[in-house]
Amino acid sequence: MSRLPPLVIDNGTGYTKMGFAGNSEPSFVFPTAIATHQTASSSSNTASAQTRSAPASASTNLASKRGIEDLDFFIGDEAIANSRTYQVHYPIRHGMIENWDYMERFWEQCIFKYLRAEPEDHYVLLTEPPLNPPENRENTAEIMFESFNVGGLYIAVQAVLALAASWTSNKVAERTLTGVVIDSGDGVTHTIPVAEGYVIGSSIKHIPIAGRDITSFVQRLLRERGESAAIPPEDQLRVAEKIKEDYTYVCQDIVKEFKKYDADPYRYFARFSGEHSVTQRKYDIDVGYERFLAPEIFFNPEIYSSDFLTPLPEVVDTVIQTSPIDVRRGLYKNIVLSGGSTMFKDFGKRLQRDVKALVDGRIAGSEERSGSHMRSSGVEVNVISHKRQRYAVWYGGSLMASTPEFYNVSHSRADYEEYGPSLVRRFSVFGSAS
Amino acid sequence: MILLESHNVIISDVLSDRFQKASRADIQFVDFDSVRFHISTPESKTVVVLSMSIQCWPDLLKYGARQHLEQQYAGYILPEASTEFEYNVSLAIDLERLPATEEERAELVSHLSLLKRNALAAPFLGAFEEQKQLQANYKDAAGAQQMDLQPTESKGELKVINYRDGEAIFVRASHDRVTVIFSTEFKDETDRIYGRVFLQEFVDARKLQSLQSAPQVTYSNREPPLEIRQIPGLKRSEDVGYVTFILSPRHFANPTQALQTISRIQLFRDYLHYHIKCSKAYMHSRMRFRVAEFLKVLNRAKPENAAPAERKTISGRTFRSR
Repeated sequence: MSRLPPLVIDNGTGYTKMGFAGNSEPSFVFPTAIATHQTASSSSNTASAQTRSAPASASTNLASKRGIEDLDFFIGDEAIANSRTYQVHYPIRHGMIENWDYMERFWEQCIFKYLRAEPEDHYVLLTEPPLNPPENRENTAEIMFESFNVGGLYIAVQAVLALAASWTSNKVAERTLTGVVIDSGDGVTHTIPVAEGYVIGSSIKHIPIAGRDITSFVQRLLRERGESAAIPPEDQLRVAEKIKEDYTYVCQDIVKEFKKYDADPYRYFARFSGEHSVTQRKYDIDVGYERFLAPEIFFNPEIYSSDFLTPLPEVVDTVIQTSPIDVRRGLYKNIVLSGGSTMFKDFGKRLQRDVKALVDGRIAGSEERSGSHMRSSGVEVNVISHKRQRYAVWYGGSLMASTPEFYNVSHSRADYEEYGPSLVRRFSVFGSAS
Repeated sequence: MILLESHNVIISDVLSDRFQKASRADIQFVDFDSVRFHISTPESKTVVVLSMSIQCWPDLLKYGARQHLEQQYAGYILPEASTEFEYNVSLAIDLERLPATEEERAELVSHLSLLKRNALAAPFLGAFEEQKQLQANYKDAAGAQQMDLQPTESKGELKVINYRDGEAIFVRASHDRVTVIFSTEFKDETDRIYGRVFLQEFVDARKLQSLQSAPQVTYSNREPPLEIRQIPGLKRSEDVGYVTFILSPRHFANPTQALQTISRIQLFRDYLHYHIKCSKAYMHSRMRFRVAEFLKVLNRAKPENAAPAERKTISGRTFRSR
């Protein structure tokens, strides 16, 4: 029988997505959190990370370990559920692994409790953020090969996987690994240019507006209109989240949209009915302008924040303009969305229109400056949205790991034993030739 | 988490989700010991097919796994002819004809998620039965002993389950016990040493007062134990280990206890490897701690960067340092 499917594990700052290659959705999505026992919590991390307040207790505590305290922990949803009696830690910060002790144990349960796979029989695909230091890759490889004895390992860049995931869209004619990835999760939005599988690190831009900000903006709008009086205070965040996920869309023209709502409020205002989580009392609220205003903060950030004022299309344009000139055309042609906060209806359409307007404006300007002697053939701008956008990175990983080529590009156990952890500094890209 | 769970989390997650709301599915996943699962909805959204392929199926068939599963999953199991291609067992669950109450549904889900356990349970249950028969017959033989006859030890058939490549479980019943022998192969040098230390600990732990009733465990490296030495083709190399469990009748006195014993024992290999990995993780965290301590010592040992004494030229002027 053929080989067992590789494991695909995408450890993000907020959530871990994991499953087996070849599936279209991750089998498990849960917070990247680990709950350790309070007494055992003063283990080695205190030594490395913080200035220790009680040096004696921390070291003796570890040395005098005779029991099985190191097995007494929970991960994911169970960790959150046990947060009363256990101490919850988040081993990943800003996409990078900060605490290797916790991460090693986190993987331990991921593999043995949830995926139930014997790591020796499987290849593993892990993901890393762009600009991950090579030392981190080495550490990851060490843990995977030395502790878990995995059959083989491939560490992929999240942005590249998101590009691969876009191949499922029917708008994509050729399978290229050149494009701009707009990855918007809960905390921060990244725009990452990728040329033939390699990230152009110097041009990456971060936007401090993402899912959490949209939720709080929805909350603010509800409060300002006085709707939130009907919602019990402890449910407000949840209701705002629900409204964001179920009712919002991106409009093409904000003024027209306001007029439409004012002319016929009954048609456009939606009703949201909720239930108080404790008293079971029912309540109804109107969902109005926030339906189209919420995602609008990407395009007109001034309505939400006062310190970040560059709209997303402009950021995308800057990212491409700062990239090497020979890839710019390819980058404009392939702008890919990934992550939950890009799931708004018509988000791609609006972004494409705005970027196109910027590009066309510039071309027209340079044509004019040349005294209308030069004619441009125009630049193609394409924003690709597809069905698998929410877990695009995981899906891209699943897609790549299910190709036979995966076994050729990933690092095998034999190679690791030959070259050691520095092996993963070498980096081979998938499918760049095709 | 000390013991591994015997049910499959993905099966229970997916099925409880589908029981709430029917939707399409096509999910492939695995379980320990090269077991593959496939959950799909080939015909309509409301009929979920759960298929399992298990490497040692030919062995299990010999020991009546099919009959056992047919009895366990009556009404769900598909006939052999319509089993999904490349898989060994298929169950079809019609979402429109589910049990009515929530509790019954939850029970069905947990029962279905134990599919692998139940498939592997057949040879063990067979051995337990065999032991009971042998014990009954042996009493007669004990009577014969009084007539100066040499007591011949009666032994059941030796059941071999090749659950992984190069690794097998041997089960043999005799009149007063059931012997279960695992052969396990360590691919890694370090693993072998950890495994050895770990298994030695089993032998010692049994000496504790509180663990007297645990089954007897012996461990031998390289040389297979006497019970199975006659089997041809056994590997005798440094990286093979044999673990023998001796189950006495009290370990499978009643059905629930028997099933518990089976769930524990069939995951033994994975349990062993899980704990080897956990010990390594623990060692690594100690090493990181140690390195951090050493680094601190090194940092302390750096000479204090005392301000260099001001130097003057003979005429009393100073150099400006840049």
